[in-house]
Amino acid sequence: MLLEVKGLTKQFGGLTAVNSFDMYVKPLEIVGLIGPNGAGKSTVFNLVTGVYPSTRGTVIFDGKDISHTKPHIAASLGIGRTFQLNPLFADFTVQENVSASFHLHPRSRLWDIYFNTPIYRKNEAYIKEQSLEILKVVGLEKVKDELAKNLPHGYQKMLGVARALATRPKLLMLDEPLGGMNPSEIEFSLNAIRKMRQEGKTILIVEHNMQILDLCDRVVVISFGQKICEGLPKEVRENKDVISAYFGGEHAA
Amino acid sequence: MIENQITASSSGRNRNLLKPVVYLGVIIIVALLPLFVKSPYMIHIFIMTLIYIIAAASLRTITISGQMPLAHAAFMGIGGYTAAMLAKWLGVSPWLCLIAGALLAMIISGFIGFPFARLRTIYYTMVSLFFGTAVLSVIFTMGKWTGSYSGLTGVPGLFSMSSSKIPYFYVILGICIVCLFALWRFENCRIGLSWKAISQSYMVASSVGINEVWYRVMALVVGSFFAGLAGALYAHYNFTLSYTTFNLGATLWLFMYVLVGGLNSFAGPILGTAILFIIPEMFRDLKSYVPFVSAVILLGVVYAMPQGLVGLPQLIRSWYKHKERTGKGAVDAT
Repeated sequence: MLLEVKGLTKQFGGLTAVNSFDMYVKPLEIVGLIGPNGAGKSTVFNLVTGVYPSTRGTVIFDGKDISHTKPHIAASLGIGRTFQLNPLFADFTVQENVSASFHLHPRSRLWDIYFNTPIYRKNEAYIKEQSLEILKVVGLEKVKDELAKNLPHGYQKMLGVARALATRPKLLMLDEPLGGMNPSEIEFSLNAIRKMRQEGKTILIVEHNMQILDLCDRVVVISFGQKICEGLPKEVRENKDVISAYFGGEHAA
Repeated sequence: MIENQITASSSGRNRNLLKPVVYLGVIIIVALLPLFVKSPYMIHIFIMTLIYIIAAASLRTITISGQMPLAHAAFMGIGGYTAAMLAKWLGVSPWLCLIAGALLAMIISGFIGFPFARLRTIYYTMVSLFFGTAVLSVIFTMGKWTGSYSGLTGVPGLFSMSSSKIPYFYVILGICIVCLFALWRFENCRIGLSWKAISQSYMVASSVGINEVWYRVMALVVGSFFAGLAGALYAHYNFTLSYTTFNLGATLWLFMYVLVGGLNSFAGPILGTAILFIIPEMFRDLKSYVPFVSAVILLGVVYAMPQGLVGLPQLIRSWYKHKERTGKGAVDAT
């Protein structure tokens, strides 16, 4: 079990955003976490990666309890993530975005960095080569010298994925990779995710776009902070609770 | 068109070589200044400029990590008063005092850095402002040793023998160059990349494993070390210290140097300090209007040159290109 979430609860003041939520991700699996807007999907993400502290519950990643760790520790343990609103290193070029994200592997010591030792120079050469490699995977190698803020929205989303890949994650968590994209961009992103799947990545995707279902091995549906259904994409699509959560109770009838 | 591309790429290659040559040229010109400028007062102004270049450049180092502290002059004060008191009351060698002042500023900034790093943006700025005020209060309460409001006089100089300013000029120039190189290296390696990453988005930076708190404290500690050194140099050069040199107003002047020169470029604070120190000396009769003139310069720069004075060549180049292009367009039309 790569990721195990047990009884996760988050209260913002009086509002319970996530209520005793359970889920797991096995290695080499693509899991979709779907649900209508405001269901608590992104909150689960932020709780797992340590952006918010959880009110109750445990998160176990790769055998370690990470319920109360900071985001950079979660990253160093092997969780790479993207963000829903997709903040970027806006004034960096695309390539700088990726190479700045190579903070963990390979990691140079401060001494080596400051005094420009051969170890550091070797690491930087490796980073340069690897960041180009990653940009090829997400299809951004042509715009590598553009400033990140000048990219179209779809490219910025893929740049977020590239950054997450640069941390060499054991688990890749994508927060709405298709959000705000037009159909051709969606097709492009789905292809990129398929490519990553073939490379044997474990991926957890948050999305409310149902198109993502085709890619997933297993889907967890969350609504009002609670898990309402879990299963194969086909099963979930036909589940009454899911349909009523998305379209309202009337429609299901 | 192709010709244009070739010249562009070859000039790009030359620029790598051009930069060190320009820097070396500037250093040589500055080093030769005492040969041409005989007035001791102007030498004094040059020395003060060099000291404040260290302070302004170290302030910019902190700001590239996304922090806007209003306590930078206070760190100069910690360095300055530490060095001055050690030298005056305990008779420690001024050269050791320089290092002691810088180290104490660094250690104190390390202590306050961690609680301060819990805050961001304006809240951080406010807390640092209070810290600056607190440093001044300590100076006043320790009045017996610091001279309180009337200032500390009789601080031993770096050179006990000579009354000439020339040795000070060369020693401080040397220290300034070493400091600038040290700060430049911080910015142009992975450490600087991480600082800039944090300042653009701390969320993203921590999601790729950059320890935000650690890197922000590191920026503050590095900046404070050089601020403390600048303060200690100030003490041992001027032989007297006054609290007004290290209050909020002094910090705002440092920001002024950085902003006028250009916040986004390493040369910015150097250029800004030099210009704002030397221009007022050219109009010494108007000395009482210096704050107004400086404010007008700042407003002008911010309005017309968002990149600061450093961005001026770029601005002229793009303006020239634009004019050339529109000129060509007119010719084509006929």
